[in-house]
Amino acid sequence: MDIKEIYWLDELCKDHNDIVGKKCANLGELVNLGLRVPYGFALSVAAYETFMEQTGLKEKVSQIVEKEINAGLDVDKEIGRMIEMSANIREAIEAADVPPGLAGQISNYYAELQKKTGIPDVPCAVRSSGAVSMPGQMETYLNIRGTSEIIRNVKKVWASAFTTRAIVFRIQNKMPISWAPIGIAVIMMIEAKSAGVILTVLPTAGDLDRAIVEGNFGLGESVVSGEITPDSFIIHKNDMCIESRSVAEKTKMVVYGPSGTTVEDVPAELCKESCIDDREILEIVRIAKDVEQHFGAPQDMEWVVDQRFSFPENIFWVQARGAKYTKKEAGKDEDYVIDLMVQLFRK
Amino acid sequence: MKIYDCVPGLEFDEVVDFEISPAWFQDATHSVPPWTPMFGWFWVNFCRHGMQYGAEKLSLPTVKGWDWRFKDGGGYLALLIVQDPNERKAREERFRVAIRPFIEDFGGMWRGYVDEIVGRYDKLKALNLEAATNIELLENFEETINTCRRMWEIHMYMMYGVYTAFVLFEQMTKQLLGFDDSSPQFHKLMSGFDNKCFQVDKGLFDLAKKAESMGLKDLFLSTEAANMKTALLQSPKGQEFLTTFDDFMEKEAGWRLERMAEINVPTWLEEPAPAFAVIKMAIEKGMSYNLDEDRKKLEAERIATEKEVLGKIAPEQRGWFQTMMKLAQDCSWFSEEHNHYLDLYAHALVRRSVMGVGARFAKEGAIDTRDDILFLIPDEVRRAGINPGMFNLRSLVERRKADWKQWCAQAPAPAFMKEGFTFEDAMGGLVGSMDPIALKVVVGSMPVVRPELKADLFGVCGSPGTVEGTVKVVWTEAELSKIVKGDIMVAPTTSPSWTPVFSILGGVIVDRGASLSHAAIVGREYGIPVVMNTFQGTTVLKDGMRIRLDANMGAIYILDK
Repeated sequence: MDIKEIYWLDELCKDHNDIVGKKCANLGELVNLGLRVPYGFALSVAAYETFMEQTGLKEKVSQIVEKEINAGLDVDKEIGRMIEMSANIREAIEAADVPPGLAGQISNYYAELQKKTGIPDVPCAVRSSGAVSMPGQMETYLNIRGTSEIIRNVKKVWASAFTTRAIVFRIQNKMPISWAPIGIAVIMMIEAKSAGVILTVLPTAGDLDRAIVEGNFGLGESVVSGEITPDSFIIHKNDMCIESRSVAEKTKMVVYGPSGTTVEDVPAELCKESCIDDREILEIVRIAKDVEQHFGAPQDMEWVVDQRFSFPENIFWVQARGAKYTKKEAGKDEDYVIDLMVQLFRK
Repeated sequence: MKIYDCVPGLEFDEVVDFEISPAWFQDATHSVPPWTPMFGWFWVNFCRHGMQYGAEKLSLPTVKGWDWRFKDGGGYLALLIVQDPNERKAREERFRVAIRPFIEDFGGMWRGYVDEIVGRYDKLKALNLEAATNIELLENFEETINTCRRMWEIHMYMMYGVYTAFVLFEQMTKQLLGFDDSSPQFHKLMSGFDNKCFQVDKGLFDLAKKAESMGLKDLFLSTEAANMKTALLQSPKGQEFLTTFDDFMEKEAGWRLERMAEINVPTWLEEPAPAFAVIKMAIEKGMSYNLDEDRKKLEAERIATEKEVLGKIAPEQRGWFQTMMKLAQDCSWFSEEHNHYLDLYAHALVRRSVMGVGARFAKEGAIDTRDDILFLIPDEVRRAGINPGMFNLRSLVERRKADWKQWCAQAPAPAFMKEGFTFEDAMGGLVGSMDPIALKVVVGSMPVVRPELKADLFGVCGSPGTVEGTVKVVWTEAELSKIVKGDIMVAPTTSPSWTPVFSILGGVIVDRGASLSHAAIVGREYGIPVVMNTFQGTTVLKDGMRIRLDANMGAIYILDK
């Protein structure tokens, strides 16, 4: 296929890793699995390259670096000079104008996104999506509204390919200095009532018959980072019954602030309440089971319940990957029962 | 030659047998009233063989099965306990390997054995007894002996294995969850399973429905069960019904005797009156076959209880706990279903073969009547088998028949005890054996007397619930007809052929029983309260008394004192 500069997420799948980076490819894959993913589009690695070439930045960046190296810069020791160089490059990138063709495309996709969501100036997250694992490239800008702000933050993500560590990494590995296989995901912000994870296996027991759902109010970071004790539910995957539930006292939650995320107190009247209802839990399990079946392996997935929409349109997925778990040794339960039986006769 | 022994080599002998065990218990469940010599021979030889076979095949660490003796028509048993700690250890190692198939696939094992044993039954049935030669009859008899022995091997091997799991599960619920097999919660976990015995009952209820839909209701209501067949033959509709009925008897329900452990009464196939009585009772008393409905409810209740119980077990412990619970649940339905495929079916075929030989012996003059064969034993059948006309076995029959009549007239000894040995010592020995069958079928739990309840009688919960109703004391199947809807049946113990009446009972009280006794299993499946091990229910409670039964507390209150 012809490589485009911008794609809708539903045009992508996991095979597009090199074109749009891992995050975008994964989100596309989720869409293709029939999962509801926050609406959005992806800027490809080609978009970055267009930007760097047409603005002359590619050459300019190389010159800056070469000049410093020729002047005897010791990459390992002169951290101060490296930091300064990185700042210069990033400033240059952020100051450059995005070529009109590309800027027009971004503007068109964003306009279309506003239509899709029905939200004017829909707030978006602008996230980097690296095609390979590289230092840096972890930038995420939240709550970005309006075309010009989107474009400004897209440039910030591109600039993040030139953190000090990223530059050092490329110099040491003798890679072209401006080579960065970086894509960008521009996706609608979720207004999270609650969020969390589901594992379609009990990881420590290796129990493949059950799934565990954990969640908290607000965004999923508090659950993923393990900083709070989340609500926790164990569901039998065949019977689809909630076998055990532990609703924790949740004191803190993560929400979007003016820039990025902040930690807030959970409102007192909510902190002992379950962050999701049974219907939502079972819908989350149902979908995760489908994904598990598709991949033929237990899944570790991140879900968000958006308070603006009604069930089941309120459940969004932001991540799906193979779950890590301790494989149950075959016959272990049987061995233990036999041990117990032997004990019975020893009394 | 002591030709009058009924079970040569296994007659009780005080001098020799007290050396093997200081106490021999009567098997009151199966050998009261006293066995005929022929049946006693089959039971004592092969139940004994089966238990030792099962215990050995499983290599149970503490027990090598039971030894049995025959005395005055009664079966007496003693446990073969492994005393040497080193031997226990060696047996334990083999046990680990032998028990595994039960844990991995009990259901599959059982289906395999059902196929095997039913295959043997079909071969036995293939011989036309009346047309057979003497040699064929004798061969059929010998093969019946082998089949009966094989039945007991399967029976006790399976029973020992799965009962071990049951005992373990009960112990673990006690340790981890604080309840044992006398608690309603435990019984809920064991309820809501179908089994072959219930399917036979359902067939009988379906026949009742069919009779009504064919307009035969009045005929059933106005005719005694004993005359039903003759009455049905009078009309084309009746004949049509009989075709369906006979087919069901031949394929499903007919291979059973009213008394599970005896062959001196006809099978339902020979004499279908008991089956007609059930159908008549179903029509008369408006019994509906409600087990399917009930079972759905019980099943839902069981699943809810399973969840509740599992919620109290740490997630990483649930795997083995569920494995064990599953096997204990298998044990519950197996306890009932095995009666159909093993005891009832095999003994019906023992009767068939024995009666075939009896008829031939009577015809050729070795004995007077067909049923006199019950007073002979296999050695004597062999003696006269090929040429019955050449032997006169009447003196043996006369002597044994006189003995048997005397056994029936006297109260049997509940146990034989070596001098200085007490009943408590003996019970202690049973419990110490850890023999799962002894624990869950023979001994059971002792009632807990709770004075604060001010109840009149205490027993052990066999199936949870509370009910008020009228007492009907039942000793034999014939007395079942006096039961009306809502009555509380009081009996020494219950038999699988009594099952259909459970659908109209309000509750059940039995003198003896444990959580795997018939009354408990069937009571659980019908969702009615059952109290067991009252020891004196049949003496204290009288027909017509109004009582309240609180099975949860094991308490019985007489209301009209």
